[in-house]
Amino acid sequence: MIESKKELINCVNVSKQYGYFFALKNISFKTKENTIIGLAGANGAGKTTLIKILCGLITPTLGKIMIKGMDYENHSNILKKKIGISTDESFLYEELTIFENLKFYDNLHQNFDKNSIKRKIDQFAKKFNLTDWINEPVENLSHGMKQKVELIRVFMHQPSILFLDEPFSGLDFNTTKLLIDSLNELRDKENISIILTTHKTEILAQICDEIIVLKRGKINKSLTKEEYKEIQIESYF
Amino acid sequence: MQNKDKDQKSRLKLFKTILFKDIKSEIRQINDLFSIFLFDILSVFIFSSVYNFSAEGQTMPLEIFVIEVWLIIFFTLIYLMSKLFVKEKESGTLGGLISAPISGNIIIFSKIFYCFILLSFVELILFLFSVFLSAPSIENLSFTQLLVFIVIGVLLPTLDLSICGSLVSAFSMYVKNKSFVLPILLFPLILPITTPIISLNIKILEGILIVDLFYEIIFLVAHIILMISILTLLSQTLLYD
Repeated sequence: MIESKKELINCVNVSKQYGYFFALKNISFKTKENTIIGLAGANGAGKTTLIKILCGLITPTLGKIMIKGMDYENHSNILKKKIGISTDESFLYEELTIFENLKFYDNLHQNFDKNSIKRKIDQFAKKFNLTDWINEPVENLSHGMKQKVELIRVFMHQPSILFLDEPFSGLDFNTTKLLIDSLNELRDKENISIILTTHKTEILAQICDEIIVLKRGKINKSLTKEEYKEIQIESYF
Repeated sequence: MQNKDKDQKSRLKLFKTILFKDIKSEIRQINDLFSIFLFDILSVFIFSSVYNFSAEGQTMPLEIFVIEVWLIIFFTLIYLMSKLFVKEKESGTLGGLISAPISGNIIIFSKIFYCFILLSFVELILFLFSVFLSAPSIENLSFTQLLVFIVIGVLLPTLDLSICGSLVSAFSMYVKNKSFVLPILLFPLILPITTPIISLNIKILEGILIVDLFYEIIFLVAHIILMISILTLLSQTLLYD
């Protein structure tokens, strides 16, 4: 018997207006749990705005977002415990070390057990080759290394939904491969749902189960993995 | 009941986590704090020198001393305000705080307390230097009078200023021209408490009994309650754009 997947996100007529400018206009879509959804589009298409609205960082001007049947207005803390966010802005404190940053964010997710935090940080640092840099202030790290720390920060509190805005930017070949493998593993073994944006269209084919193409704040096309392979996606940008 | 206790403890831990992070960050950027101290000490020095020059060596009256110190504190607050929410917004880390499963009030109260600690620390240095440089005519204060001066004359107004500073910092973090907006928003908020603070300080330093300070204290406490209520009610709106 095939088990049908539950609904993860229900986005109904979402619009975001800045002054007279509509960054998003009447966006509606539904996604299922345990899938990787890719948001694609040219610069200024509204990918980052949409992902920030989906993860509750900004509020939509119109419309409603339901995640696992809950909205941010009434179930903000429950939802925030379940989600991990990485956006175009770094959430890391430049003057603090990698360890201090990761410990701080794990504390914010109400984990105050020092041993468990240290164990988790050591494991992730080893996985992402950051062990030698763990006590280094973030301001001394390269862009790619900061991106790795951001990803560890997102994975640390074991979220069940990940929102990743351009997670592959600044990563070298090996780390990109490691991240692709990690995301696939998270979906397949730990049933985590992932929503990501990327400019790297070749990566979309490798990991995404569904791709939503945005153009000037509207959904231009929704594609499954199979459909995506047969077309030239840039023609929809 | 146990759940409520656990919830309270967890809130306190989160409050401490954000506060200690801010203090640690501040210590790592100690040059910022030094520049504030330098501004304060130079201001006291200029004030005292000008007074001594124009008054031909007469002792500085208590009223002028108190006004001098609090005027410098008000201007210092403008510097400190940019270290609260504005700094978090500009560095992009505000997103990390508001995406965490914590109440907006915890973030706001930790920032108020952080501003209170910084301002108290600056005041300590400022009062020491100003007493030394300005040499005001203060009668010998007893230990109790000194304690009343510290708690009611300095810490109570500092708490009020910290709340006003946090409110303005939160209000202006999404504004483009922050350096213009911060003082413009701050002055109408602190204007009503300027006179009570100065009057309170002068009266305590003159040795007037605490019973006679009733109206100033009530006014400051009412202002604190009003500002806290505004911050608490608007916390969600202020933190999200």
